[in-house]
Amino acid sequence: MSTTTALAPDADQRPARAPERHFTKLRRKVTDNLTAYGFLCAALVVFALFSWYPIVRGVLLSFQQVNFVSAAEWVGWDNFETLFADPLFGIAWRNTLLFTGLALVVGFVIPFAVALVLNELRHMKGYFRVVVYLPVMLPPVVVAILWKWFYDPGPGLFNSILRTVGLPPLSWLNSADTSMLSLVLVATWASMGSATLIYLAALQTIPGDLYEAAELDGANLWQRLRHVTIPQTRFVLLIMMLMQIVATMQVFTEPYVMTGGGPEDSTVTVLLLLYRYAFTYNDFGTASAMSLLLFLALGAFSALYLRLTRTKG
Amino acid sequence: MNTPTLRRRSLGLLLVTGLGLTVAACGESTDDGAGEGGKVAITVNGQPPKTQPFERKIFDEDVAEFERTHKNIDIQPREGFMDPKTFSTKLAGGQLEDVYYVFLTDPANLISRKQAADVTDYVKDVPHYDEIQPTLKEIFTRDGKVYGLPTANYSMGLLYNRKLFTEAGLDPDSPPSTWEEVREAAKKITALGNNKIGFAEYSKNNQGGWHYTSWLYSVGGNVAKQDGDKWVADFNNDKGKQVAQYLHDMRWADNTMGSKQLLVIEDVQRMMGAGQLGMYLAAPDNVPALVNQFKGDYANYGLAPMPGGNGTLIGGEGYMLNPKATPEKIKAGLQWISWKYLNPDRMESDLKRYADQKQPIGLPASPPAGASDIWTGPLREQQATLKTKYATVPVENYQPFVDGLADLDKKIEPPNAQQVYAALDNVMQGVLTNKDANIDDLLAAAETKVNAALAQVK
Amino acid sequence: MAKSRVDRPVRTLLSPWTLEHRRGKVGYWLVFTLVISLFTLAFVVPLIWMLLGAMKTAPELAANPPTLLPDSFNVSAYTEAWSFMELAKYFGNTVLIATGAWLIQLAVDVPAAYALSKLRPVLGKWILGGMLATLMLPASALLVPTYLAITDVPIFGVNLVNSPAAIWLPAAANAFNIYLLKRFFDQIPTELLDAARIDGAGSVTTMVRIVLPLSRPILAVVSIFAIVAAWKDFIWPLLVLQDPGVQTLSVALQRFEPDTPINLMLAGLVLASIPMVVAFLIFQRQILAGLTAGSLKG
Repeated sequence: MSTTTALAPDADQRPARAPERHFTKLRRKVTDNLTAYGFLCAALVVFALFSWYPIVRGVLLSFQQVNFVSAAEWVGWDNFETLFADPLFGIAWRNTLLFTGLALVVGFVIPFAVALVLNELRHMKGYFRVVVYLPVMLPPVVVAILWKWFYDPGPGLFNSILRTVGLPPLSWLNSADTSMLSLVLVATWASMGSATLIYLAALQTIPGDLYEAAELDGANLWQRLRHVTIPQTRFVLLIMMLMQIVATMQVFTEPYVMTGGGPEDSTVTVLLLLYRYAFTYNDFGTASAMSLLLFLALGAFSALYLRLTRTKG
Repeated sequence: MNTPTLRRRSLGLLLVTGLGLTVAACGESTDDGAGEGGKVAITVNGQPPKTQPFERKIFDEDVAEFERTHKNIDIQPREGFMDPKTFSTKLAGGQLEDVYYVFLTDPANLISRKQAADVTDYVKDVPHYDEIQPTLKEIFTRDGKVYGLPTANYSMGLLYNRKLFTEAGLDPDSPPSTWEEVREAAKKITALGNNKIGFAEYSKNNQGGWHYTSWLYSVGGNVAKQDGDKWVADFNNDKGKQVAQYLHDMRWADNTMGSKQLLVIEDVQRMMGAGQLGMYLAAPDNVPALVNQFKGDYANYGLAPMPGGNGTLIGGEGYMLNPKATPEKIKAGLQWISWKYLNPDRMESDLKRYADQKQPIGLPASPPAGASDIWTGPLREQQATLKTKYATVPVENYQPFVDGLADLDKKIEPPNAQQVYAALDNVMQGVLTNKDANIDDLLAAAETKVNAALAQVK
Repeated sequence: MAKSRVDRPVRTLLSPWTLEHRRGKVGYWLVFTLVISLFTLAFVVPLIWMLLGAMKTAPELAANPPTLLPDSFNVSAYTEAWSFMELAKYFGNTVLIATGAWLIQLAVDVPAAYALSKLRPVLGKWILGGMLATLMLPASALLVPTYLAITDVPIFGVNLVNSPAAIWLPAAANAFNIYLLKRFFDQIPTELLDAARIDGAGSVTTMVRIVLPLSRPILAVVSIFAIVAAWKDFIWPLLVLQDPGVQTLSVALQRFEPDTPINLMLAGLVLASIPMVVAFLIFQRQILAGLTAGSLKG
């Protein structure tokens, strides 16, 4: 504290007054810390009970079986063995990876392309921003139920349109071949707004001189895109991709509301299976084992994402 | 300076928080059930919700009557039946009722998990216990110990629309008794046009698997069989294929099942209630639902026994007791179950009050409890006589079902039924949504999954 | 940001030169029209269809070719849906839960972020680290143990199922809020706080009278995120709100879906969406500002 040196310029006088000032300093430090903890205590309690405790318990539960009557029973690797022996386990991971992959292609490329186009337009930008973001504001259940009706192979809107223009109707959610793609379309429609706007904001930070310089060097549209736009937005693209992977691997609402996992288990995702183990079979131990595996799978992506945002942010 | 204020404020904050924590800690909920003056208080569920006013009134009247005649027991009713989603929470949070409802598919798992009380020592005091059908009692027994009581039972049959039958030129009093006849009838009804469908099946939410099992039983097949002390899948054979092929043909060759699939109970009931559906597999308890919820008319529905003449799937309900219940609570709980659901002395009054309110009596099913098909021997006959006496629905519409039931082999659901049904759902979905479905592949894939599910049976 | 000419917008991929050519102009307007049509078709038409669909009867909805406008603009489906699905009750529940979540998150996370940013207690770095570490975990991996923590809260031993607290309390353990708030508070110069201290203000007064008024932008962002997240949430309320009487709109709508005729369902969907759409139109700026807060620098 600068005040102490200001008050004690004379070295000879310091030893006589030092103990007193020390004591005041210490007292102030204690009260400061107490105050700070006073401010923190609510958050500490809430984090301890609903964040840190569940983390520890979750790991422990993966190796236990609980029945809520007697104490939890340690079962070693049994839960994991049950998971690996269940054919649905492999199917769920495969489906989820398929969903994530499709979602990356459709839900990553398209928002970026849209943002590129929007960035070039000079008129009605406000309208576009509002309109593309509107679906994001709708509750996911609303979107899922609405699209479930759209996809209905009989009276649903999409097949009605197809029939009107003379095309054959598609099975959408009713066929194992098209069900996952149908879900990806819904998920993309509902969430591309935020990605598009984030890309748009990033594109707008690119200094115009870079484009001018590139043009003077004789670069055409594609080359400008490849050598100016993409490198400049690389960071945003990377973290958005990571965020998207982490989010889409946890997909639940769409399969739960729209297909229940079918047809023929083609839309059973990791989270849907986790939910089944916990809340249909009431096997919390195995569900926790599944959660642990999910964490291990995604932890790497999340850690990378965090590191990148924190170093830059 | 402001140090005293600072300190006071922060200490104050901590003190308040500390107090808050302590007060909250004291607010723990305990339920030891030792009511006033030696009374035993037990919580029971199975109370119908307010959206079913008649059933709710009956239940509440019964509670009052029971408390009047059993002054030392206090019943605290709770709405709801069995929901696997909430069961564990309730048990974990100490809120599971002392007497709780189960479907007949539940006891096996609950007993394995030790989530039901062992009531072997108390069951001998339950009157008429010996006259309950043994197959049903088996479901609640493991290694000689009893864990609960069955209270209702239903069998699957063929529910058909008599009116559509007449319109299509079929005889409503002579319903199909073989699968070939079902196929023919379906064709005739679909031919009526105007969006009418001959036959419908479920294929979602495990209901497809449940019905596939019924079909299998009807042709004399099995879903699972015991191999030593393990269970293995037993449907990847001629019979399983026959059923799958049959459904596939009705869907694609005959086109009598409609283009919308992945149906669940409510979808099919809605079609039946709206007069758009000819037949579907159902238990008799569907009929009141069709009338009350989906605006159907009793006169229009008939029940036939499961075609095929070999066997049928039975299901039902019962009650088990909280594993943490004290002996007093167990005794009181068993008294309640026996008095309300398994009481031949109240059979007549039960049926009468339903009949007085023009509620359906005469259906081969409960409610009311008095009409439950759980008895054997003289009690069963007594029940049949009373049901005829107080019948309020055209009993003759259901006569074929009742007559045929005696000849059918009544089989219970396979172990770990929900997981098995989930796997079999895929077979149904495959044949009903994919014209080029490869039945051998579907059955083989389902077999792997069913074996995995059965391997978990303890 | 130096602009080459006074009234030119920032230079983008296309050269402004291209747009001055006739061919460039035609191309531009072609693309523009295409984009406007696609956008409207993809994002606006489904919503309008939903709105109008609720005014049609079931046969109309199933008609081939599909109609956009209903035969008659009767809103009876809306009133019927309102009473059939008891939407008043579910709206009330959702508003209660969203409001509580908002207030409690502010009450818990703002002081905590302030303490970590300005008051800097000992072990502060560890606490912050412990909180931020939770961001690494996918939320769904913690569903099961958090659910168990709700059914039997450690130390207190209460069961919070069916209580709004089951949603509020875990929502308050939001490390992202702490991160955003702390980052903002870090940028408030300490001189301001020192000046306040010299003037005799205590920590609470300093926070309330000096820091919070300056933090309106970030508080707006955190608030909006909190309310919107609570309104839209599905899987967590599905798990912890098991009594139909206390459920939120999302859970209730999903529960009604199999039993409800489609036109009533559409009406219900529209009604459930209106608050969020209205909120978006009003708070556009803050929402869009908040979008970039977490992912870009500054």
